[in-house]
Amino acid sequence: SQLIVAMATAPHTWLRLVPSCRSYSKATRLHKIDYPWKDEPKPHWVRQFEARRVDADLTPENRDWLRQWRLQRVRDAVASSSEAAAAASPLKEPPAARPLWTPRVSQRCGLVGIKLGILPMWYRNGQKVHTTVVQIPDQRVLRWVPPEDLGNYASLREMRPYRLNQSLLPRWLTQQRWGLQLVGAVPADPANFTAQWCGIFKAAGLPPMRKISRFLVSPDAALQPGACLGLHHFRVGDCVDVVARTVNRGFQGVMERHLMEGGPAAHGSTKFHRKMGSAAGGGGPIYRGKRMPGVMGNRFRAARSLPVLRVNTKHRLLFIKGFTPGPPHSYCQIMDSWMLDVRRSLDANPPPMPTYFAEDAPEGGYPEDVYHPDLLPYDQPLELPD
Amino acid sequence: HPARDATSAISSSWQLRPVPGLQVPLRLPSDRRPPVRRFACPASIAAASAAASPAVPPGPPLAPAGIARVYKPRLSPEAMKEFWRLSGIGPDHSRAKAADQQAEVPPEIKRLYQEALPPIVSQDYRDPIVESLHRAEMMRRRRVINIPEFHVGSILAVSVMDKHAPNKVNRFVGLCILRRHTGLFTTFTLRNMVDQVCVQIEYELYSPSIVSIQLLKLERRLDDNLLYLMDAPHSHCTIPFDMVPEPYSRNDPVPVNRERVRLNPPPWMCKWHLHGYQGIDLEHLYSYLSDKDVAKAIEFSKAYKRYDLLDQYLNRVPVPDADYAFKDIFIQHQELLQHQQQQQQQSSKKSEVISKLTGTV
Repeated sequence: SQLIVAMATAPHTWLRLVPSCRSYSKATRLHKIDYPWKDEPKPHWVRQFEARRVDADLTPENRDWLRQWRLQRVRDAVASSSEAAAAASPLKEPPAARPLWTPRVSQRCGLVGIKLGILPMWYRNGQKVHTTVVQIPDQRVLRWVPPEDLGNYASLREMRPYRLNQSLLPRWLTQQRWGLQLVGAVPADPANFTAQWCGIFKAAGLPPMRKISRFLVSPDAALQPGACLGLHHFRVGDCVDVVARTVNRGFQGVMERHLMEGGPAAHGSTKFHRKMGSAAGGGGPIYRGKRMPGVMGNRFRAARSLPVLRVNTKHRLLFIKGFTPGPPHSYCQIMDSWMLDVRRSLDANPPPMPTYFAEDAPEGGYPEDVYHPDLLPYDQPLELPD
Repeated sequence: HPARDATSAISSSWQLRPVPGLQVPLRLPSDRRPPVRRFACPASIAAASAAASPAVPPGPPLAPAGIARVYKPRLSPEAMKEFWRLSGIGPDHSRAKAADQQAEVPPEIKRLYQEALPPIVSQDYRDPIVESLHRAEMMRRRRVINIPEFHVGSILAVSVMDKHAPNKVNRFVGLCILRRHTGLFTTFTLRNMVDQVCVQIEYELYSPSIVSIQLLKLERRLDDNLLYLMDAPHSHCTIPFDMVPEPYSRNDPVPVNRERVRLNPPPWMCKWHLHGYQGIDLEHLYSYLSDKDVAKAIEFSKAYKRYDLLDQYLNRVPVPDADYAFKDIFIQHQELLQHQQQQQQQSSKKSEVISKLTGTV
């Protein structure tokens, strides 16, 4: 029987929620929510980059001067909204009532990072560990969309199921426990962007930035536009999830993409060495989702529950254990892990809520490198217990 | 994509070192070029342009009135000279490295810190911050342990921590047959015979479980790796565990062992004739091969790859990146020497204090 749910807030009342099939055959693995613009960067309805205008009326010197003036305004806007400015200003007061960490309810905002590379390190028991070096660039909070308004949000308004079997909406949209926190990263010259893109940042009083990311955040950890997100939002020892687009491997065949067997190399095999073989059975139609050749990679994937082993304050780096998706110099989203054991451990040792502010700094500030106690710095000798 | 957005800190210019034996015409034959049109320039305009931009050298080619304002060089002569110096081609390319550049980094740094060179990979996978972190951590590790200079063909004694060993330390002596990767990923492989069994052990150079690395013999071979010793008589890699270290001087060039190894009869682990090894006795090797294989080996050894410019570009480190890496390492090397001196002073002071307290002399 079909279960029709009328959602009072969202306008998609014509959607039907079909009980999901429990069989695990490839044809019926249909619980994934997929739509063409899922992997597109949001907002995809706004053109980001503008072709550089060549002003023939300007002399080169005046062009350079104007560029420096624009960049100085960007720097001033960034500096005025930084945590250093907030700490130094005598007029601004710290947030009056900082929300408390509520178990099973709180979900903080995350950070936008740039994956740089890999650095090997060793534990104090002699075991080797590979750490991913992620740089945290300049970023500010752009907007808060409360859970009640999720249905009206532009990119979600057009979400439609496909024929046959795409009848499930994502749970963060149906349950409406969490809202969307928009975060902008890497401020840049406004002349590179369209006026529409710059307008997104105008309401928050921020300079235009290259990257906009969304995080699912609980209302008690909501941040207001203009708030500064910094390196110390995560502490050494916190477990994080890193979401990023995987390496684009291009158009690949089924053997590479789906690990199919292919055919025999010899023994009379005629033109059947790396092919798929049959696409369906019994004269039936090819079902949606059939594994076929296509572009491999370049999809969002998450590496879950990776501890932060080291923090470098000089270059604004996080050293995260293990490997994260994506090539070097790609953006990634870093957030408190959604794994249940990590969430339970945070109840005993809550992180700075809703984010790190200057008043949370320890006396004397942070050293250049903060190591996890299990990690062996390179200038210390290894001492194994007998 | 942040890589396309941000400007790269390291310039990836096409740097080619002059290849010995490669004959490249440095100047095109002038008879094939069209004749240069020369114009007469009034003396007043020439004087005015010379006064306005004194960097422009006077003299031919002469230009019509007004053309000097448009066609004057945008780059100063110093910049043009630098460009030609870095390009690797041009009349001064053989003297590419200026004396002042060479004097900054002594050659012993390049011998001692071979793994400080950035990896030879696509520019998309390289990052200046990560490489500087690798170099800094390498130098930090060198404050704890002394890592001597060694090459493939040298004999080393390595002691690692081993909880199952009687003294908690496991010592292995062997011939270095392979040295690969860069930065903190650097590994080296030692080979030796133990109780008539061939043993090859790969060590990570910067692993903290290494207690000491002792150089017993400093030597170089004709090849980058000695993997063919796996198919050679065992006498070539039998090194006594109680070998006495041979003294060496850092100022002398590394001695090259030009011996040519005679391999065992096939079957072999690898087609040794197709890798351009110079340390194998080739006549003896070809005597085991068919005519077809010999022709293939000779075809490979013709060294046509020296003319493959793209292969050279892809398999070399850009000269500015290598210079930057070695300069960075040189500065940290001097700090390391200071640190070692301070430690020696502290230990000598300690021994003085202890001798005074205990009454010993």
